[in-house]
Amino acid sequence: MSILLNEVTKYFGRDLVLDNVTDEVPQGSLTALLGPSGSGKSTLLRIVAGLEPLNQGHIELDGHDVTNVPARDRHIGFCFQDYAPFRQMTVFDNVAYGLKVQRLDKARIRKEVDDLLSLVRLESFADRYPRQLSGGQRQRMALARALAIKPEVLLLDEPFAALDAQVRGELRSWVRSLQRELGITTILVTHDQAEAMEIADRLVILNEGRIEQVGTPDSMYDKPANDFVQGFLGPITTLNGVACRPHDIELCEPGQGVTAIVTDIIRLGFEVRVVVRSTNNISSWVQLTHDEAQRLNLMVGESVSLRVRRGSGRNDEAVLLGGAFAVPYDQGAL
Amino acid sequence: MTRSRLILRCVVLFYIAALIGVPLIFVFQQAFLHGFGAFFSALRDPAMDHSILLTALVAVVAVPLNVLFGVGASLWIVRHPSRFTRVLDTVIDVPLAISPIIVGLVLELVYAQGGWFGAALAKLGWQVMFSFPGIVMASIFVSLPLVSRQVIPLLREIGDHQEQTASTLGAGPVRIFFSITLRSITWAAAYGVSLTLARVIGEYGAVLIVSGNIALVTQTLTLNIGANFDNFNNYQGFVGAVLLALSSIVLLLILGVARHRERRRNEYLA
Repeated sequence: MSILLNEVTKYFGRDLVLDNVTDEVPQGSLTALLGPSGSGKSTLLRIVAGLEPLNQGHIELDGHDVTNVPARDRHIGFCFQDYAPFRQMTVFDNVAYGLKVQRLDKARIRKEVDDLLSLVRLESFADRYPRQLSGGQRQRMALARALAIKPEVLLLDEPFAALDAQVRGELRSWVRSLQRELGITTILVTHDQAEAMEIADRLVILNEGRIEQVGTPDSMYDKPANDFVQGFLGPITTLNGVACRPHDIELCEPGQGVTAIVTDIIRLGFEVRVVVRSTNNISSWVQLTHDEAQRLNLMVGESVSLRVRRGSGRNDEAVLLGGAFAVPYDQGAL
Repeated sequence: MTRSRLILRCVVLFYIAALIGVPLIFVFQQAFLHGFGAFFSALRDPAMDHSILLTALVAVVAVPLNVLFGVGASLWIVRHPSRFTRVLDTVIDVPLAISPIIVGLVLELVYAQGGWFGAALAKLGWQVMFSFPGIVMASIFVSLPLVSRQVIPLLREIGDHQEQTASTLGAGPVRIFFSITLRSITWAAAYGVSLTLARVIGEYGAVLIVSGNIALVTQTLTLNIGANFDNFNNYQGFVGAVLLALSSIVLLLILGVARHRERRRNEYLA
C-alpha cells in the first residue's frame, strides 16, 4: 500500500512542528524518517497512524484520503519506541488483542497467534508476561502484535533505540528481511544515520519540520543536497574552509596540498583518525585505514600536506576551485 | 547494630506505641472489661445498631460515587489536559485542606432551609440537611481526592502508548478502557477505595453538623460513640470504638495487600 503525504502541516500550540511535508512512500518500500530530535519525525509517523490530528494537508493510502479516518479504522500496524506491551496480559494475549477485537473464533485466533509467535521466534514464550521478556523479545512481541491485524502499512517509531548494540544489529537485519518477505510498506523513524542507511531503501531527512532531502541512502551520502544533510549522514570536517568527509582527504607530496601539523593520532579499530592543525590554528581531521596509517608511519608533530581526493563528494569541485590545490604552499589555509 | 540505628528504632517504636499501641490496647481492654457476655449484649444496643447500619449505607452510596468520580476525573486530568483540568487538579485537593467542621457548616449554609438551595429543594420535597443525603454529601466531600490521588500518578506513569496501540489494533474507547486502562489501575484504585472507605466510616466533624446527630435517625457510628461518651455511657462507647478499630484493622489488611500488589506491579516496569 502506498502512502501519500500531501502538504502535511502540524502545530503544537504556536510551534510549527511540521511545515508542508509532502512525500510519496511507494508500495513495499522501507522508508526511514531520519532527523535530529525535535525534527518532527515521530509526530509525522503518529499523523500517518491517525494518532495525531493534523492542521493542514492530507494523507492518502493507495489513493484513498484517510485524513479524517480514526486510528482504529486505518488498519495500520504501529510500534512505539517503548513497545507499549500490554503489561497485564501474556505474550499470547498481547498478540491476540487485535484478533479478539475482530471477534474471530478461538481456534482461529490460537492458530494465527501461534503462527505469528513462530514468525517472531517467541513460540515458547506465549504464557509469559512482558515483564519476563528481554528488550529484544518485547520488541518482537510488539511487532507480532502489530502484524496480527495483517496491516498493509507498518510504522515503527525508533524501533531499536532501547536495545543494546549487539541485539540492535541482529534485530535490524531481521526486521529488514521480515519486511522484504512480507512486502509490507514500512516507515521507520530513527535519529541514527547508520541505522537508516543500513536498513532503508529510501531516506527522508527531516529538520525543523521540513524535508531536507529524499532519496536512496547511496545517492544521499554521495550527493547531499546541503550542508545539513551532509553533516547528518556522516562525519564532516573542513579543509580550506569547505566541508568534506574525513575519509575523502588524502595525504600528498609537500606543496601539492594544504600544510598542517599532526596533533593527535587515534586508533579506532580498523580506522585511524589523524587530527591536524593548520598554520593558522584551524583544527581538522582525516580518516585513514589502519594499513594506510602504517604505510605513512605518521608521528605526532610531523608536518603533512593534505588535499581532497579526486572525484569524491559534492564539494570536490569547490575544493578544487576554491582551495586546496590552488592555495600557495605557504598560505596553507585549512 | 550501630548505636544511632538503635536509638532511631527506639524513637519510632515509642512513637507508635504512645500514639497508636497504648490507646488501641486501652480501647480493647475497656470494651472487654466486663467479659465477652457483656460485650455481646452491648452489641445489641438499638441506637448503636442503627448507627452501624446508617454508616454502612452511607459508605455503600458514597464510596462507589467517589470511585466513579475519582477514576473519571483522573482520566480527564491526565489524558485530556487543559487549563480547566489544571484547575480541577488543584481544586480536587481542597477537601484535604479544609477542616471537616467547616465543610459541614458550608454545606449546611447552602442546603439547609434558609440556605441558597435549601428552600427550593424543600419545595420539591427533598430535605438534604439533617438527613441521609446530607450525610452522604459530607462524606463524599471529605473523601473526594482519595481515589484520584492514587490513580493520577499511576496514569501519568503508564502513559498512553498502550491505549494508542490498542486503538491502532482496532479497539474502541470502551474496550480500551476495560481491557487496558482499568486493568492497569485496578490496584491503585483499590488502594484509593480503602482510603475512601476508612475516611467515610471514620468521619466525625462534617457529619456531626450536617446530620443533626439524632439517635436512631441520623446518627452514624462515630457520632454514636461520641454521644455515648457525652452521656456518661462510657462502656457502650468503648464497644463502638472497638468495632471502628476492627474495621480499620480489616481495611489496613486490605490496604497492605493492595500496596503489595502495587509494589509488585512497579517492579515489573521495564
